[in-house]
Amino acid sequence: MKNATQVFLRRLPLTLIAAIVIWLLLRPAIDTAVAGLAQTLIRSFEYPRVTRLVIEDHRAQMRRTDLRTDSKVPSVSMTEVTFNTIVLLALYLALPRPFSRGQLERLFMGLCVLCLSQSINLLFHVKTLYAMGLGEWSQQNYSDFARNVFGFGRYFTDLPGRFSFPFLIWLGFNWEAIMKMLRVSEDTDGKTVSKRKKKTSKAISS
Amino acid sequence: MNLRDLWQKPEARFLILFLTILGVSFTFVALRQVNDAFVTPYTAVIAQMSGFVLRIFGEKAAVAGCVVSSPRFAVTIYNGCNGLITSLIFISGVLAFPAKISAKLIGVIGGLLTIQLINLVRIVSLFYIGVFLPQHFNDAHIFVWQSLVIIAGISLWIVWAHKFALPRDSS
Repeated sequence: MKNATQVFLRRLPLTLIAAIVIWLLLRPAIDTAVAGLAQTLIRSFEYPRVTRLVIEDHRAQMRRTDLRTDSKVPSVSMTEVTFNTIVLLALYLALPRPFSRGQLERLFMGLCVLCLSQSINLLFHVKTLYAMGLGEWSQQNYSDFARNVFGFGRYFTDLPGRFSFPFLIWLGFNWEAIMKMLRVSEDTDGKTVSKRKKKTSKAISS
Repeated sequence: MNLRDLWQKPEARFLILFLTILGVSFTFVALRQVNDAFVTPYTAVIAQMSGFVLRIFGEKAAVAGCVVSSPRFAVTIYNGCNGLITSLIFISGVLAFPAKISAKLIGVIGGLLTIQLINLVRIVSLFYIGVFLPQHFNDAHIFVWQSLVIIAGISLWIVWAHKFALPRDSS
């Protein structure tokens, strides 16, 4: 029987290519969903509700209804915010039986959590811009504490978040399958036991 | 479910440990003093190494700080492009997973070297993409190479965990 880890690692380059193609096809829908959720979150804590996030050429434009019409419109690259969908898709597709009902359900749940994390990342981008990037208006409307909170939120959801969330989501939703693949199984009382160790001890006792 | 019950679940324990180590390490490298004393010089070393490899390939590459330039193209290596993020995530994964200290040490050292090697290939290849296919530079930089580097880091972690994972009761 083939080693499951080797099969997974062999599949991964192919599933990465497939994931890039799927992401490129779904990109407009993902951009809209992430920006829509981020806009809802921003407006939930905003009075008056003026923020509008409009997707144009894979960038989220921050259009405030209280800005002058001749104002420059700041924007955030949605490619950088949503590219980690590729990683999550590639990891899911490389697992055994990726199109089974259970795996598809896990994939859907994982994508929803990732979408939420991407929306929070976009939210922090927008709030950081409001708190730091609009000159005197930022100074008047946001405290130093708010600037630090939004800055830290943006920093942590940017590179660390974008890079690690797909791995964490994949691992969290597929823990048992991954431990089985790594040949670390769960025994009946929930303790993790290496099959290799079991085999070794059996060989010694016989 | 109380915290003790949650801690008994291996997946929850791994995720809590992983996020804690990740949070602490990223907060640490975000400090200005650490950034000035370690991250920026580290990135400059990566730039020097990239310049060295490009010169081996016959490029007239010059390095100034974190900028690698030649008459044909120039790249600036920022914090996200120096391999540090992937390395920290990989190290967090290794430290959070149940294994012997010696196995973790092997994982950390081997992983760091391999990730840096992959990152070097990434920078050099992006330089040549910038030279020959400049219209595809952004796509290659953001979603192709970043995805590849993350996948490479996760693959390394899987290989390491497969070889060195310990039974929970003996960890």
